[in-house]
Amino acid sequence: MKAEIRGSDAFSYVDLTLAPGDSVVAESDAMSSMSADLDLQARFNGGFFAGLLRKYLAGETLFVNVFKNNTKAPRSLTLVQPTPGGIRALELHNNTFYLQPGAYLASTEGLKLGVGFAGFVSWIAGEGLFRTVVKGSGTLWYGAYGALLDKEIDGEYIVDNSHLVAYEPGIKLRLQLAGGIFSSLFGGEGLVTRVSGKGRVVIQTRSLSGLTGWINPKLS
Amino acid sequence: MSFKVSVTGYAQADQVAARAAFATAFKITPEKAAELLTVLPRTIKVDLDQATAQRYCDALLKMGLTSAAEPMQAAAAPSPVPPAAPAPVAQASPAPVMPAAVVAPEAEQPGFKFTIEGAPDFAFLTVKLPANHTIKVEASAMATMDTHIRMKTKLGGGLGRFITGESIFINEFSAEKVPGEIGIAPGAPGDLGHVYLNGDVIYLQNGAFVACDPDVTIESKWQGFKKGFFSGESFFLIRASGTGDLWFNTYGGMIAKDVDGEYVVDTGNIVAFTEGLNYSVEKFGGYKSLFFSGEGFVCRFRGKGRVWIQTRTSGALLTWAQQFRKAKSAD
Amino acid sequence: MQVEFIHRPGNTAATLLLAAGESCTTESGAMIAMSGQLDIETTTHKRGKGGLLKAAKRLFGGESFFLNHFTARSGPGEVLLGTALAGDMMDYTLDGDALLVQAGSFVACEQGVEIDTTWQGFKNLLSGESLFWLKLSGRGKVVLSSFGAIYPIEVDGEHIVDTGHIVAFQETLEFSLTKAGKSWLHSMLGGEGLVCKFKGRGTVWCQSHNPGSFGMSLRPTLKPRK
Repeated sequence: MKAEIRGSDAFSYVDLTLAPGDSVVAESDAMSSMSADLDLQARFNGGFFAGLLRKYLAGETLFVNVFKNNTKAPRSLTLVQPTPGGIRALELHNNTFYLQPGAYLASTEGLKLGVGFAGFVSWIAGEGLFRTVVKGSGTLWYGAYGALLDKEIDGEYIVDNSHLVAYEPGIKLRLQLAGGIFSSLFGGEGLVTRVSGKGRVVIQTRSLSGLTGWINPKLS
Repeated sequence: MSFKVSVTGYAQADQVAARAAFATAFKITPEKAAELLTVLPRTIKVDLDQATAQRYCDALLKMGLTSAAEPMQAAAAPSPVPPAAPAPVAQASPAPVMPAAVVAPEAEQPGFKFTIEGAPDFAFLTVKLPANHTIKVEASAMATMDTHIRMKTKLGGGLGRFITGESIFINEFSAEKVPGEIGIAPGAPGDLGHVYLNGDVIYLQNGAFVACDPDVTIESKWQGFKKGFFSGESFFLIRASGTGDLWFNTYGGMIAKDVDGEYVVDTGNIVAFTEGLNYSVEKFGGYKSLFFSGEGFVCRFRGKGRVWIQTRTSGALLTWAQQFRKAKSAD
Repeated sequence: MQVEFIHRPGNTAATLLLAAGESCTTESGAMIAMSGQLDIETTTHKRGKGGLLKAAKRLFGGESFFLNHFTARSGPGEVLLGTALAGDMMDYTLDGDALLVQAGSFVACEQGVEIDTTWQGFKNLLSGESLFWLKLSGRGKVVLSSFGAIYPIEVDGEHIVDTGHIVAFQETLEFSLTKAGKSWLHSMLGGEGLVCKFKGRGTVWCQSHNPGSFGMSLRPTLKPRK
């Protein structure tokens, strides 16, 4: 399988070429165009119960699509997330990666998707009580609104709730006020997440709530 | 006496080829060259001696561009955007140098060290604060920061911001005792602009303020009833003055234009402009165009200065967003 | 007319460079800025062609009733154009062929281009695409826009494009509504629903993103209507 991320940070999309026999799993409604003779099968996202959990708890969809090339020649497939923004590919080799709700786009068959309890921090932060846990070996594609930036954490760092996309297992989250009570009420920052530990966090440079926060005062 | 060199026009019919040659000579992308040469005349080099200026003109003509070398006015007011650090160009050769007008955030200049990532569509600002320094930031725009940075919320920006729906609060972030960094993400998807104010004044469209040095004064300025009314944007502009860094944001891509003479911009596409420019709000074309062209009123800038333009307008986005709003009862 | 694009594909703006005597036609509301003393005229039709009927039809095509014409009478000039939403732009030179263009994607064209509106059948009702498409024919450059990055697909046989992702296609292609994959059930369950299948030989230009999906993801935090 060949995969290429195009469209820059503004409108990333994944161009895949599936060799005969190749298959890829993608979030519901992620296909924007494909060869007409690719086979598509909808299945529960990690089994019926896991699928339900992921839908109601981790903000993902109940079904995922499996695209499979059963022809004898390479076939093309283009996948995209619902919002503009960056998409990343990540190779996992028998390790684990955590995604915030909604960040999952697609993966190769060697990866397992699960739901993990993210702690009450995540829930209060409006990000949902659960996170998507990706395990196994293969390629993961994930993305978010905005451009994606890496931040290596060794110690502690503060990230606004709506800007966290993904993180490595060495990272812990804790919730706190951005400033004093007055600042947190009127400064528009409210609660922030204190990330601690050692590992990488992925940050989105824009957030949907930031966008609507900018739009809403202009709407009558 | 020092001279400046301005590109004044095209010496050949094939403008694209001329721009390509310009891009190659100045080692910039064809896109950047197109942007620079969109409005002419465009000053590309300042503080040259007469002979060097003439060599620039000769070189430009070979690229297919006409140009002029003019003596610079003595005691000229400092340009709001400091020209790129006076490059130690070898006197003898008109070596290609980055045109002065290119916005180079990493250029050596006074002020905080900062980086901009994710530009031009989702630009994200990271500022390194020296120990015990403070930065003023638009409410809700902080995205990341070191844990020892303290936030205080202050009233700021003036009454105009309140009336136009912007937050009347501005947050101050301070790096206590040790240096620290803060990451800033405006709400609107777009680019970030930076100027280092040195006693000069820049006007910003009301929603464009992102962050500034505490020594920069941010105040609302009443545009006047006619300008405010017809511009359809807001009766207020932000007037930024003082000394220090100022960052502002666009919705959409950003185009910086050096105006010398007249230039017409749709009112919704104006982000910022320097004080040297006068502007008037006027109708677009004839009366039929005024009502039916979809443009309505435009801003005509006159004089000498710089105007920053955004490639999208919030108005069009708002119109599009209407269909996705929930009905109130469903809430 | 020369066309240059900047800030592709995120927030593209087109610069139309007009030589003395040249003119162009643009979608109303698209002008960002312009230089010099260009003549502006607003009409319901292309100069000397069509009239109110075509303008009314264009309304159905999701475009506006009025068009702006810029003419560089006294010397060369330029017009900067943008679109309502973030996204990409492309240009294409018609040479007697025809393009069918999705509603809202038309930005500008040269004088020799005909703008008409065509009915593509009831299938559009179901597809969520507009019922009418713009048909651009004749000779000259056209400028089109999209939400998301534009990527061309050279179809030779069959290719599937999800609804909401089509910008334009050559008239030599035919399209029908169908399911993705072999099974209707799976296409529905997997959230793909109806898709467009292009047949024949020609180019279809797709937009990477679907504005409707983006709008729905804003919905939860967008201020409700009064």
